[in-house]
Amino acid sequence: MKQKLREWCLRIWGTLKSRDAEVDEELRFHLEMAEQDALRRGGSPREARLRAGGLAQASESVRDQSAIRWLGDFFRDTRHGARLLAKSPLFAAAAIGSLALGIGANTAIFSLIDAVMLRMMPVHEPERLVQFAKFREPYGRSSFSHPLFHLFRDELHSFDGLLARALMTRREVTFGAEPEIVNTEEVSGNYYSVLGISAIIGRTFDEEIDRSPRPAAVISYAFWKRRFGMDPGAVGRTFRLNRTVFTIVGIAPPEFHGVAVGEAPDITFPLSMDGEVRGSESWLPSDSRGWLSVMGRLRHDRTVQAAQAEVSAIFSRVVQAEAGHQTKELFRKRTLAQHILLQPAGNGFDSLRQRFSEPLRILMGIVALVLLIACANLANLLLGRSAARRREIAVRLAIGAGRGRVIRQMLAEGMLLAAAGGAVGVLIACWSANTLVAVMSNGGDRIALNIRPDLRVLGFAAAVSVAACLLFSLAPAIQAVRHGIQPALAEVRGSARWRLGRGLVAAQVAVSLVLLIGAGLFGRTLVRLYAIETGFDRTNVLLFSVDAAHATLRGPALQARILEELRQVPGVASASAAVSPIGGTGWDGSVRIEGYTFAPKEDDHVHFNAVGPDYFKTLRTSIVLGREFDGRDTETSPRVAIVNETFARRYFADRQPLGKWVNIAGDLRHQMTIVGVAKDMQSRSLREGVPPAMYMAVTQAGGPPGSVYLVRGTITGAMLDTALKRIDPKLRAEDVRSLEEHLSRTILRERIMGTLSGFFGALSLLLVSVGIYGVMAFQVARRQKEIGIRLALGARPAQVTRMVLAETALPVVVGVALGVAGAVGVTRLLEKMLFGVTATDLVTFAGACGLLVALALLAAYLPGRVAARLSPVETLRCE
Amino acid sequence: MLQGTLDLMILQTLATLGPQHGYAIAGRIEQVSSGAIQLNMGTLYPGLLRLEQRGFIRAQWDKTETNRRARFYSITAAGRRQLDAEKAEWTRMAGIMEALLCEEA
Repeated sequence: MKQKLREWCLRIWGTLKSRDAEVDEELRFHLEMAEQDALRRGGSPREARLRAGGLAQASESVRDQSAIRWLGDFFRDTRHGARLLAKSPLFAAAAIGSLALGIGANTAIFSLIDAVMLRMMPVHEPERLVQFAKFREPYGRSSFSHPLFHLFRDELHSFDGLLARALMTRREVTFGAEPEIVNTEEVSGNYYSVLGISAIIGRTFDEEIDRSPRPAAVISYAFWKRRFGMDPGAVGRTFRLNRTVFTIVGIAPPEFHGVAVGEAPDITFPLSMDGEVRGSESWLPSDSRGWLSVMGRLRHDRTVQAAQAEVSAIFSRVVQAEAGHQTKELFRKRTLAQHILLQPAGNGFDSLRQRFSEPLRILMGIVALVLLIACANLANLLLGRSAARRREIAVRLAIGAGRGRVIRQMLAEGMLLAAAGGAVGVLIACWSANTLVAVMSNGGDRIALNIRPDLRVLGFAAAVSVAACLLFSLAPAIQAVRHGIQPALAEVRGSARWRLGRGLVAAQVAVSLVLLIGAGLFGRTLVRLYAIETGFDRTNVLLFSVDAAHATLRGPALQARILEELRQVPGVASASAAVSPIGGTGWDGSVRIEGYTFAPKEDDHVHFNAVGPDYFKTLRTSIVLGREFDGRDTETSPRVAIVNETFARRYFADRQPLGKWVNIAGDLRHQMTIVGVAKDMQSRSLREGVPPAMYMAVTQAGGPPGSVYLVRGTITGAMLDTALKRIDPKLRAEDVRSLEEHLSRTILRERIMGTLSGFFGALSLLLVSVGIYGVMAFQVARRQKEIGIRLALGARPAQVTRMVLAETALPVVVGVALGVAGAVGVTRLLEKMLFGVTATDLVTFAGACGLLVALALLAAYLPGRVAARLSPVETLRCE
Repeated sequence: MLQGTLDLMILQTLATLGPQHGYAIAGRIEQVSSGAIQLNMGTLYPGLLRLEQRGFIRAQWDKTETNRRARFYSITAAGRRQLDAEKAEWTRMAGIMEALLCEEA
């Protein structure tokens, strides 16, 4: 076995390095010896030679043993192909460039899909991990409270362990003197043991820490590297968070980035220290607060179905008990309709997947189509080249080269192009995938994705390259040998090749049209979203939050002080605050309204926001009735509310809303009096219509103080900071952005789809134009003689140009027809992501068709004009 | 001729005679077989190369007694082991064949 391997290695080596000369010398020596021997014995040297065998045959047999024939052929073909490509560098550059773009785009999108959707976490047996997805109307996915997690952990038997984790949060910690902002998360004590992760230095948490909380923390490898320069002494170091001093007990392994795709926590705390981590009341005892994600490791002898049944049984008991306390029918029904689904979680919690899996899938389709167009283009170019090489190929066939051999030789050239294109493509992919992640992160929270190309991504790129190579070089290769040696003898018209060429043009046009229509739909969606009447003036408003963790003033007093200071800044017209910014995540709740009775099945939910004084003035939204909040509305003054027009119309119809009371269902003690009606404005998201909305004074809402400040006027971030520092040097403005930017963030997915589909649509248009130009230019060159005769016989130049255009028109029209049919089928899949346009939007379809046809004709017009300018005398003479 | 047989003959020749060039190996085999086996170059040299690639023999250029440059082959340690194994196998096989053929006769 070992010897066989050795033999093969040496044969491969022998393929690369010829030793023909050495073999020849050895064989000649053999012959000479044979002749001498024969002479010495008195025999005939000629006979001795014959007995020894022919030198050429022997050397051929030796070569068969010393080298691998097909491998040698492959090397020779590749070298030949490389020489041919080097002779036409423009063609090579165009081919490699378009392939690189196609393969690069595919690899980039695939590497994102790999990172977001496919890659398993580096934990023990990730395929046995499941996540608990809880659904509750009308909120959709909802999180778990700590008591509920506890109940499951104690009662479930289908799992080896159940872990909980709170969302990642940015917090300020202090190691020495200077505070620093880090990403933190809280996990149950068994987190690391359930995942099967152990610390590389120190130790992780254990279940003991759930029962007897200790101020311990585990840091990530990346943080250890960044903050401590990988100093092993980091374990044991202490830092302060709020009023508690924590000790680093261990460092997580380098490949482990936590259990949520796209998040990379720096410091991990035990859940049992929640109060200390939060610096306020602990959320652990709360029954109603959902804040935990839950993941479990399935026991080896249980199936997901069995576990699902057990979970559902326990949860329905919980739900029944909860519904028993509810009096209102709608609430009861919603409570009872809650359910939990177990989903595979070997690749982590899926919040990022939920947001981006659909756009990524669509993008994958788009880039695959772009690559198809690039391949069709290349196939057409190669067809032209193979036509030019017809004579050479015919000669090869005539002197006995097999057709397979000639096809293989042409494939080698294609493979060379594909390999170069693939290599450049991977580089493009690395760069563009990172850019794309940066764009995706633009939504506010940083997305930490590991998109270094791993083996799977590189394998994908290689597979795509090979597939592309077969696509674009097989047809021309087969075409080239089909005629055999005939074309060398007679100059036939090669109509079959022309037919194939036109077919390719039609296919390109069709695919490109689908892409253009998709891009048009996404583009129009974006335009519609930007053009929405928001009900407020989005220009000249700055949004920011204030980091007040270390300020002396707190709560409403601090807020009032900040607003007062902001109003003093020159250039500021007005300033206000709100709990949740417009277009962000306001909250919904049910209400009771004076003089209005909800029908038994009627939805009693309205949209809430808590806003500061001058909120409507700052947004330039007019108050149609009454007044807006001002300094009079304090914590102790009578409770007041402002409703929007939709609210007033729906619940008061023609009655006077001012002075009537409303309250939040379930909170009957706090009745509010309506003091104003504001014009409608978008509040949930740009895609949804205006809901009935109620605004409470931020001072009275009882929730956290306004977390977002709004300032109208010409003001910069630096001016903001100076104003804040005047109040307290420890205050800092965070996440400063204009209102327009803020709105853009809420339509991030639409923006990504709009930009990228537009980019790829344009790219496909470029490829198609170049393709058509190439084919027609080649046609004109090939038919010079015919055109010369036509001109000589009196055809006018315009007629010649028209002839070329007419020949292009047919495949283009066929392509457009196919493309429209295809688009009608495909765009339906995009419907969910569109806004304000239907999937078969006539304007988009017509626009895309028009653009494509115009460009196609332009691409054909250029060679057409060349044809018209041919001199009949010269073309006829040159033959 | 069977490939294994040729290998065995070459190895045995080199083991008995020490380093030899290709022509001498062919001559020796012809001589021992009383002219029954005449190796032509197209059989001999690919065989030598294969043995060399498998590491059973080693080749190097050297001078003959008549001061001509020639490629000399010598058996390696691995070649000797292979020779012993194949010899044993050959003897075993021959014994079996003999027993079988005699019984039939």
